[in-house]
Amino acid sequence: MWSKRINGGNPTETFPASPDLVIVFAPTGRFADTGFRDDLVHRYHDAFLIGCSSGTMVEDNRLDDDAVVILGMGFAKTRLKLAVQPLPSPDCSFATGVALAQELADETLSGIFVLSSGLNVNGSALVAGLRSGVGDGVALSGGLAGDGPRFADTRVLARGECLSNGVAAVGFYGEHVRFAHGSAGEWQPFGPVRTISDANESEVGGLDHEPALALYERYLGEEAENLPASGLLYPLEIWDPVRPDDRVVRTLLAIDRDKGTLTFAGDMPQGWKARLMRGIFDDLVGGASTAAQHAADHAGTWGVAPSACLAISCVGRRLLMGQRTEEEIMAVSAVVGSDIALAGFYSYGEIAPQNVTGVPCLHNQTMTITLIGECE
Amino acid sequence: MTPSMATIDPRPSPLHQTLARQVQRARLPDGGVDVDRLLALVSETYAETDVDRRRTDRANRLMAEELEEALSKSALQNVRFKAALDNMNQGLALFDPAGRLVLTNQRFLDIYRLSEAPAGLTLDQTLERSPCLSIGTPTAQRRLIREYHDIASDPGAKIEQRWPDGRTITIERNQLVDGGFLDTVADVTEARNASAQIAHLARHDALTDLPNRTLLHERLAEMMRNARRGDRCAMLCLDLDRFKLVNDTLGHPVGDALLVAVADRLVALVRPHDVVARLGGDEFSILVQHVTSDRVVKQLCRRIIETLTQPFEIAGHHIQIGASVGVAMGTVEALDPDTMLRDADLALYRAKRDGRGNYRFYTPDMHVFATRRRELEIELRRALNSNEFEVHYQPQINIETQTVVGFEALARWYHPERGVITPGEFISVCEEIGLIGAVGEVILMRSCHDAACWPENVKIAVNLSAVQFKSGTLPALVARALRVSGLDPRRLELEITESVMLEDTASVITQLKEIKRLGVLISLDDFGTGYSSLSHIRNFPFDRVKIDQSFVRELGTNSDSLAIVRAVTGLCSSLGIMSIAEGVETLDQLNILAAEKCDSAQGYYYSRPVPLAETGPFVSRMAALHSVAA
Repeated sequence: MWSKRINGGNPTETFPASPDLVIVFAPTGRFADTGFRDDLVHRYHDAFLIGCSSGTMVEDNRLDDDAVVILGMGFAKTRLKLAVQPLPSPDCSFATGVALAQELADETLSGIFVLSSGLNVNGSALVAGLRSGVGDGVALSGGLAGDGPRFADTRVLARGECLSNGVAAVGFYGEHVRFAHGSAGEWQPFGPVRTISDANESEVGGLDHEPALALYERYLGEEAENLPASGLLYPLEIWDPVRPDDRVVRTLLAIDRDKGTLTFAGDMPQGWKARLMRGIFDDLVGGASTAAQHAADHAGTWGVAPSACLAISCVGRRLLMGQRTEEEIMAVSAVVGSDIALAGFYSYGEIAPQNVTGVPCLHNQTMTITLIGECE
Repeated sequence: MTPSMATIDPRPSPLHQTLARQVQRARLPDGGVDVDRLLALVSETYAETDVDRRRTDRANRLMAEELEEALSKSALQNVRFKAALDNMNQGLALFDPAGRLVLTNQRFLDIYRLSEAPAGLTLDQTLERSPCLSIGTPTAQRRLIREYHDIASDPGAKIEQRWPDGRTITIERNQLVDGGFLDTVADVTEARNASAQIAHLARHDALTDLPNRTLLHERLAEMMRNARRGDRCAMLCLDLDRFKLVNDTLGHPVGDALLVAVADRLVALVRPHDVVARLGGDEFSILVQHVTSDRVVKQLCRRIIETLTQPFEIAGHHIQIGASVGVAMGTVEALDPDTMLRDADLALYRAKRDGRGNYRFYTPDMHVFATRRRELEIELRRALNSNEFEVHYQPQINIETQTVVGFEALARWYHPERGVITPGEFISVCEEIGLIGAVGEVILMRSCHDAACWPENVKIAVNLSAVQFKSGTLPALVARALRVSGLDPRRLELEITESVMLEDTASVITQLKEIKRLGVLISLDDFGTGYSSLSHIRNFPFDRVKIDQSFVRELGTNSDSLAIVRAVTGLCSSLGIMSIAEGVETLDQLNILAAEKCDSAQGYYYSRPVPLAETGPFVSRMAALHSVAA
């Protein structure tokens, strides 16, 4: 197997051979450009071509908000298959996941890399649908397309088309392909423990009987005008009071100023405890390193070096750390080494197996690492 | 920008690394640096750092404010919590997993009379400070501390202690999830005392403090458990004669004081292991244990009667009562407590029937008699519902004119199996079981109704029982009988016996006067047999006095009877009261009565009591005889 990341803006950069799989990360505006798409299709007509939009691309150990990052991979013994499904509304997320799984499912299926449009999707349901079709024995990772702090338009590239509401998934078949994953958030809870006093599914009206939106506005100050994007600075850690050790992180997705409510990326059961979280730069960078190390440790058992590294991190981390966000990708690079083809993007939701259980799920506010290799 | 900038070692801090990256980004193709770009990047970093600092400051400030508010709420909550704890009825002591005191509430300190209980003390150290535990012996103190110390660790394990100062304390332990424990201490002295008092009241008569029926049964059971082979015992039931009169005339407080005095005398009469109990009202019973012979029991009965017949001085009143006693004897191992009490009660009943101031031992025939009486009761109630009562009439004849002046109504019970039953066999039972009111009403209504058909100069005499006066509604009943039948009140004569006058005299006189105001005549029945107090005749204006048949029967053979008849007729004559003799069976008797100026007579000489249908012909026959004689 070979892998190479090239700068899509530099026509002189090429792959050493005709790639089997090409993954493109670029700003939303580039994907909207038909010429850009046609050029990609023309250049990589023999490969499975997928990609998605983002506000920030990972290019080796650097970040670039404007770059076009192209990762090409060639496999010696691994078969690939591309499945594409529309995603007309968030309610269809589970069904879309199921449909993709049905297209890809095969007893030789080893892993799936999935890219979904980033708005109007229930990422948890999409993952659940995929899992229900292929089982937990298939490695599953990927992410939801991003659009920086704008939350306006996200795109998925597949079969030369540029989908605003769709999902593309590549299946990897055979016993030679290898995947290793890691994920970490390292956001720190702070302040008083609150109670979700008014909530309906993922929409929260009140925390400790105070309007939830007012709480966020108070903490964000002048940045409250950038809600919901600025809400990513303060995710919520929530837990069932009877199971205080089992905690999950919820990211703010949308607000309703008229109703004074906040909508999070997942259920917010009334009566559960909640605590604001914030990112300390060093902790977040340390978290990225931990995620990479977890994946690298696993890859160390393959007997062959991983060829490609896909680093998919949360846009919330990018918004918080600004230019210093690059430190987390440098931390990843320091772990996986400079010989590997490293590419990625800042997403609206990361998909990767949990570190402990290995069960794929939608993450919030994390750095996720997918290492790919192929054995003899 | 000088080239030397690019050589800055980035390792000292992340910001230096950032600067190094910014320099790289600003580097021009010729190796130089685009200063404007670099400054823009650096400026951006400054701005981001500043924003992050402001965010952090803001978050810290808000968090501090929120935590401060939460803390003040928590402090207030603690004050409230402490107030709530201190005002609990139970003492609380919280210990950590190492058994060290964490906190106590005020009530805990109060119960143990501790001025303080510093956190960190062990349970033993805390208890050793309590003066409540140390006022007893050192051994007792150690025992109380050990008991508390050793409370089981089961959830809700509880012990109860009696302290040297007399208090009863319960201590309950609950294990906490952190391995510590919470003890709840309660002073239950009052509750335990109240329970003991309640238990005493449940087994003792509140007035005399004698054992009640429950305790008597328990003592009987206890005696049976401990009985030696062949051991005998006696159960005495006794009842005070004329106690009701004391209660009614001198009032309940005096009656109650009398019962207490009776109880004292009874207790003084028996041995310590015998049991004197009050079963209710004026009923007492005595359980005599280890009886060696009947003679001993008879002796005790005599002493009881004799002792209770001695006058009592209560609240300035000189009170003379008596007692009747029933005795049941038995072998303890074959004893049935209920049967024994019942047998003694039957014997008491017999003693009272045989004339008060007596004692009787139970014999099996008493049971037969009681059974028969119970059957009779059942049958009487049925008879009343089935209209089995009839009235027969015995004519009363004016001795001088030999004409019918009236009839005496005499109840008859037509029993479907046993035929006609006379009043002597059932009226007293009716009185005892409370049926006399209903039976008396039937007789009075029927008599008035029947008499209304007779000639206007013929009266009807109806007997009244003393019991019928008790309700106080007799005048209303009489008025109703007259109204319903249309009978002229002057044709109705109500006969009462002297015993009626012995009851609640004031109430009886009031009712008699009320009846008399209706125009009804009142006569005194069976005169001469009882107390024959002239005061009765003086106290009430009777219209007629009836000379008892026992005297009439002996006229011509017994001079005493003649003297009595003469005295009565003479008394009536001088007081202007009519006289009548009952039980006249012979012409000789009639002639003597005529000679003694007795006004009228009734008896078999003239006629047995006859059904209504025969009354009319009898009147006519006598009238015809009179006209022939005239």
